[in-house]
Amino acid sequence: MTLEEGPDSDQTTYHHQHHHLLDWLEDSISFIPSFLDDPYSNTESIAGYEWWTQDQDQANLLQTAPSTTPIAVPPATTTTTITQSLPQPEFSKKRKLPTSPITPNKVAAHGNQRRTGPDASNEGNGKFEEDGDIPQKPASGRKGQGKGNGGNSGSGNKEVRWAEHLLNPCATAIEAANPSRVQHLLYVLDELASPSGDANHRLAAYGLRTLTHHLSSTRIAAAVNVPTRGGGLADDSPCFVSTEPKLFRSALIKFHDVSPWFALPNSLANASILQALTLDSNQRPRPLHLHVVDIGVSHGVQWPTLLEALTRRQGGAPALVRLTVAGAAAPPGPFSAAPPGYDFSSHLLRYAKSIDLNLRIDQADSLAPRSLSLASGEILVVCAQFRMGHGGPDDRMAFLQSVRELNPDLVVLSEVDGGRAGDGDGSFPAEFGRRAELLWRFLDSTSAAFKGRDCAERRVVEGEAARVLEGRGVAEGRERWRERMVGLGFWDEGFGEEAVEAARALLRKYDGNWEMRPAEAAVGLWWKGQPVSFCSLWKPHTGRQ
Amino acid sequence: MAVAMEEAGDLEFSGCNSNSTMDDDNGCGWTDWSPVIDWGPLSADDEFRGLIESMMCDDNDNDDDDEPTGLAPHTSFDPYWNSNPSSTTTSVGTPPVQEPSNGGAGVEDEKGLRLVHLLMGAAEALAGPHECRELARVILVRLNELVSPAGATCGGGGTTMERLAVHFTDALQGLLDGSSSAAAGGGRQSASHRDDHTGDVLAAFQLLQDMSPYVKFGHFTANQAILEAVAADRRVHIVDYDIAEGVQWASLMQAFVSREDGPQPPHLRITAVTRGGGGGVRGVQETGRRLAAFASSIGLPFAFGQCRLDADERFRPGGVKVVKGEAVVANCVLQPPQGAGTRREAGSVASFLSGAAALGARVVAVVEEEEEGLEGEGDFVGRFMGELHRYSAVWDSLDAGFPIQGLARGMVERVILGPRIAGAVGRAYRGIGEGGWGEWMVGRGFGRVGISCFNHCQARLLLGLFNDGYRVEEDGPNKLVLAWKSQRLTSASIWSPPPPPPPFTDVLLPVPAVSNGMEDSYFFLD
Repeated sequence: MTLEEGPDSDQTTYHHQHHHLLDWLEDSISFIPSFLDDPYSNTESIAGYEWWTQDQDQANLLQTAPSTTPIAVPPATTTTTITQSLPQPEFSKKRKLPTSPITPNKVAAHGNQRRTGPDASNEGNGKFEEDGDIPQKPASGRKGQGKGNGGNSGSGNKEVRWAEHLLNPCATAIEAANPSRVQHLLYVLDELASPSGDANHRLAAYGLRTLTHHLSSTRIAAAVNVPTRGGGLADDSPCFVSTEPKLFRSALIKFHDVSPWFALPNSLANASILQALTLDSNQRPRPLHLHVVDIGVSHGVQWPTLLEALTRRQGGAPALVRLTVAGAAAPPGPFSAAPPGYDFSSHLLRYAKSIDLNLRIDQADSLAPRSLSLASGEILVVCAQFRMGHGGPDDRMAFLQSVRELNPDLVVLSEVDGGRAGDGDGSFPAEFGRRAELLWRFLDSTSAAFKGRDCAERRVVEGEAARVLEGRGVAEGRERWRERMVGLGFWDEGFGEEAVEAARALLRKYDGNWEMRPAEAAVGLWWKGQPVSFCSLWKPHTGRQ
Repeated sequence: MAVAMEEAGDLEFSGCNSNSTMDDDNGCGWTDWSPVIDWGPLSADDEFRGLIESMMCDDNDNDDDDEPTGLAPHTSFDPYWNSNPSSTTTSVGTPPVQEPSNGGAGVEDEKGLRLVHLLMGAAEALAGPHECRELARVILVRLNELVSPAGATCGGGGTTMERLAVHFTDALQGLLDGSSSAAAGGGRQSASHRDDHTGDVLAAFQLLQDMSPYVKFGHFTANQAILEAVAADRRVHIVDYDIAEGVQWASLMQAFVSREDGPQPPHLRITAVTRGGGGGVRGVQETGRRLAAFASSIGLPFAFGQCRLDADERFRPGGVKVVKGEAVVANCVLQPPQGAGTRREAGSVASFLSGAAALGARVVAVVEEEEEGLEGEGDFVGRFMGELHRYSAVWDSLDAGFPIQGLARGMVERVILGPRIAGAVGRAYRGIGEGGWGEWMVGRGFGRVGISCFNHCQARLLLGLFNDGYRVEEDGPNKLVLAWKSQRLTSASIWSPPPPPPPFTDVLLPVPAVSNGMEDSYFFLD
C-alpha cells in the first residue's frame, strides 16, 4: 500500500494521454501529448511500474508464497470465480476468460519475473485491479479479472484452446473431401461459435465463417448441408472498411490504448526514427528534412507522438517533416483498409500546426521514386509495418526490391512472426492451422486487453484481424524476412538502448502476458510465451552508415 | 429363524401405494400381470437412428475397426449398421441429413440433429485422437443449454431426441467430472434420486413393463425355462445374483401355483446374493418381505435368505446353504447399472456363474443387455454411438407404446433408463464391453439348454401384446433376443453348468476363512 504514490502519478499520466489522443482525432485543436514523456525523458516514472509487474506472477505467488495479508484476497477471489464459472454457459454477455487455474503459463511467468527485477517487493497484489482500469474509463466495470488473469490460460497449453480442436480437423476433412466428417464438425462449430463469447467461441465463429466459405469452392460443397443456427457470424460482420468512420477511429485508439499489438512496434519505430535523425543530422546540410514513407496499418495513430517528439529534440525540429502515405504500394491485408470518409491527414496537419511543426502529407500509389517525389538531402525512412505478408512470395520480394531501390536511410520492418520458415507443407489445412493459431493469440490478447468486455471497438478490431484467415499468403517467420533483406543488400541495425527501454516501459502498461524478447538485432513481441510479431531496422550497405 | 408371516404381511407394498401421482392403478402390486393393451398407433420415426447409423458408419469407415478380429468370434453381434448396405452408402455421396419427414416438425428435427452432433463431438473430445477435455466441457455446457432437464425428466415435454440427449449428456458429464456416481451408473439426475423410495423404482419397473416387453421378456423367458427345469421337483431353491426389487419372482410364484393339472406347488426358496453395505442388505430384506407377503397371498410355501458377496465382490458358493433334495437354480439378470460396469463387477459375475456350477445348479438363466462392443476393441466414440443408437431404439419403442408426455414415461426414463444409460456410457468409456457372457460360459464348459417351443411361443405371444416393431430372434438353441426393429435390446439364455469341479479350485473363487454369509432372517411359509 505504501507504493500507491507511484501508480497514482502514472494514472494521471495515462488519463491525460488517453484523452489527448481522443482530442487529437476528434477535435484536433489542442494536443499536449505526454505520451513520449515516459519513454524519452521521465525514466523515473518507469520505476513506478515496478510495483505491479509482480502481479502477473500471481499464480506463482499463490502457489509458492501465499500471503496472509488482506491484499492477497483479489487473486484468491479470482481463482474462485474461475472454478465456479466452469460449468456455466459461455454465451452470456459476461464472459469468463479461458481458464486453466492449475497450470499457469510457465514461460510467460518466467518472462515476467525477469522483468520484475530482483528488488521487487511482494506488495501490490491488491492494487492490480485498479491499475488494470487505468487505461480505461472508470465506468468500464470490474469483473474480478485482474491483469494477469488472462495468463492463466497459457497459449502454450493447447488443452485450453478447444476451438482449434474443431477447426483444424474440419479443415483437414475438407481437404480430404470427407463430407460427413465436415458436416459433423460444422454442426458442432455452429453450436459453439459466438462472436461475443470468449476467445475460443470467437475463434470458432471466425473460423467457421472461413471454412464455410472455403468449402463452397470445393467439390464436396453440394454434399454438405451447412448448418444455419445463426450463432456464427453474418457475412457483414464488422471490419475496417465497413465501419462507420467515427467508430473506426475510436476502435483504433482504443486498441492502441489497451493492446501493444501495434502500439509497441509503432513506439519502436518512432524511437528509431528519432535516433536515426540524431545520428544523421550532424552529417547533413541544414536545414534538416525528414521524409517518412508510411506503409502501415496505424491510419495516422502512430504519428502524433513522433511529431511531438520531433519538436522537443535537441537541435530543434526538422525544417520540414514529410509523411508520404503509400499503403497502396503493398497488397491489401488485415488492418490495411480504412472506411471511406476517414481522413487523418487534415487532423494531423492541424495538429502539426498547433505545435508549430512544418508538416507535409502526400499520398502515393507506389514506391516509384517519382511518385514519392523524393528530394535530395532529406533523411528518408521507409516504415513498413504489417503490410508485406499478404501477397505471394514474389510480391514480397518485389516490394522489398522497390524499397531497396529508394536507397533509404532507414527501413523499419515489422511483421507478424509466422514461426520458423519451412513449417507446414503449404496445404490448406496447414496454412489454416497457422492462421488460426495466430488469430487465437490475437483474440486471446484482446480478451485480456478489453478485460473480457464485448464492445463495438473490440468487434471491429477483431473482425478485421480475422481477415487473416482468408489471406492467401503463407505466413512466414522473421528469419525468412531477414534472408530477403540481407539478400537485397541491407544490414540489420540494432535498436538503441533508449528505444528498447521506452518500449519496455510502454509494455508495462499492458497485460502482464506480453513480453519483449530480443531476436538477434530485432525485437520480438510475445504473448504468453509465443511469438506474435517482430520489429527490425535495416540500412542499405551502400547508404551512409 | 422362522418369522411369522403376519409380521411380514404388514409390510406390503407401501412404496407402490405411495405413488399417488399416477392416474391409473399401477401401484397396486404384482397381481395384475397382463400388459395393458392400449397401444397407440405406430408413430415411431427412425429419423435420428438413421442419422446415428450413418455417422457410425462413417466412423467405422475411417477407423477400419469393422474387420473381424480373432477376439470376436460372435460376429453375429455386429451392429446392424455395419452390415446394412443402404446405410453404408449414405455416407459417400449424400449428406446424412434427413429431410424433415413430418411437415412442421422440421425445426425439431434440426434440433435433434444438432444434439446428436454435439453428443458425438463431446464423446470425441473425451477420448481418442481428438481428445480435449476443455472442448468436452464446452460442448456439454452447450448441450445442457439445449436440453431442458426439467422438461425432459418430469415428463413435461421435449422431443424424443431431447429427452434421450439429457441422459447421454449427464452420462458424459459424469465421465468428464470423473464422478464416482457416473462410474456407479448414476448421472446427475439419478444421483439426486438415489434415495428414491424403493416403491418409486418398483412403480417405474411396473410402468416400464406396461410400456414395453423390455423387462418381461427376460423374466418370462428365464422363468419358463426354470419352470420346465424343475417341473417335477418338490423343493426349488433359486440363487439370484441381483434380485433388485424381486419383480421377476412374483410371476414365477404365480406360475407355480397356477399350473393346471400340474403337480402341487413346490416349496420355493430364494437366496438373494447381495453386495456388502447396509443399504443394499436392507433393500433386499425389504424385497424378501414383499415376496414373502406375496407368496402368502397366493398360498405358496416360501423361504427367503441372503448370501453376501465377500469384500472383493466375489461369490462364495459355500455361503449358500443347499438342502438335500432341492433343485438349485441360478439366475443372473444383468442390467445396467447393476451389470458388469467395472472389471471388478465382471469378476463378480464370473464368480457367480462358476459358483453356480459348484452348487450343482440344475440350470443357469442369464438375462443380459445386448450391448455392442468388445473389450478393448474399437474406440470410445464408436461404442458411445452404439449406445446412443441402442437407446434411441429403446426410446423409439417406448414412443410406439406410450405417450411421450406422460408422467409415467418421464418416471421410467428418470428412474430406470437414465441410470442404465450412465452405466452403459461408463462401460463404453472404460472399454468394458460385455460382449455377452455366452462365449465365456461355453469356454467354461457350460452347456446350452435349448429354449422350448412353448417358451419361444410365449415370447412371441408377449410381444404380440405390444407394438409391431418388437421382434424375437433366436441366437443359437438356448438364447432368445428381444429386438426393436433391427436393434437388439436384451436377451435371455439358458445354460447347464458343467459338473461341479473339485470344491473351490476355481481361480476366481478364493476361499476366505470366514464362514457363512447366510442371514438369520428367513421368512418361512409352510
